[in-house]
Amino acid sequence: MTEVIARRGFHGPSNDEAIEAIHNEMDALWDDASFVPDMDRMTFATAVIEAAANIVQHALPAADKPVEIDVDISVRSNRLIARVSAHNAREPFAEDMQASMPDSEAESGRGLALIEALVTTVTFERQDGTNTWILTRDT
Amino acid sequence: MQFSYEVNDSYAEVKSVGRLNMVAAPKLREVVAEVVAGGSSRVVVNLAETDFMDSSGLGALIGCLKAARQAGGDLRIAGVQPQVKMVLELTNMDRVLTAYPTAEAAFSDD
Repeated sequence: MTEVIARRGFHGPSNDEAIEAIHNEMDALWDDASFVPDMDRMTFATAVIEAAANIVQHALPAADKPVEIDVDISVRSNRLIARVSAHNAREPFAEDMQASMPDSEAESGRGLALIEALVTTVTFERQDGTNTWILTRDT
Repeated sequence: MQFSYEVNDSYAEVKSVGRLNMVAAPKLREVVAEVVAGGSSRVVVNLAETDFMDSSGLGALIGCLKAARQAGGDLRIAGVQPQVKMVLELTNMDRVLTAYPTAEAAFSDD
């Protein structure tokens, strides 16, 4: 594993403000890693925001504690890695994990298919009440 | 994110400025619904100042397209920037949401 050149993160309640804050962190990340090509920035930022939005829209709390979102994005010389986690969350419903592109009339359900098209690898993990998406893109 | 609109003789132009994400998507739906309810079913969404759109924003555009068509009109998009173009292409929605270089060009052929 090569050295981390730049890193940004966010932790907070799973809500609209989190989406904007994560997007601002990603913009700031590129300022610290100006060598990352525009195409990689654009695709990776889109995938990270899709994963975060999936959590804000679909993750339900497992108990009385609200869902919290945690994002850790790192830039290495040839790879971008994001861990996007939902803490205190239930296991996702199967229908929220649908990764095929719906028909052209559909107004939702494209997020996961889009993520898969944008990154090199997508991994989903569930451990101790935390759901984590790990997205990587080779640059 | 902010939306504004202007109605002229042949179409209504809705300007979208900022990130068209899950936060902004419901607002776009509201604005276009208001425009269509006001009698303008030919709608151009000007995306020249929208540098980011996610699948929620795309879903809102599709909903707005359906609303405009149900009212007997159409919805077209203009000024599409690279990230928005990428999302449209990867979802195959570039065939459904026709992109024009400018708002003026969107309804100029009919």
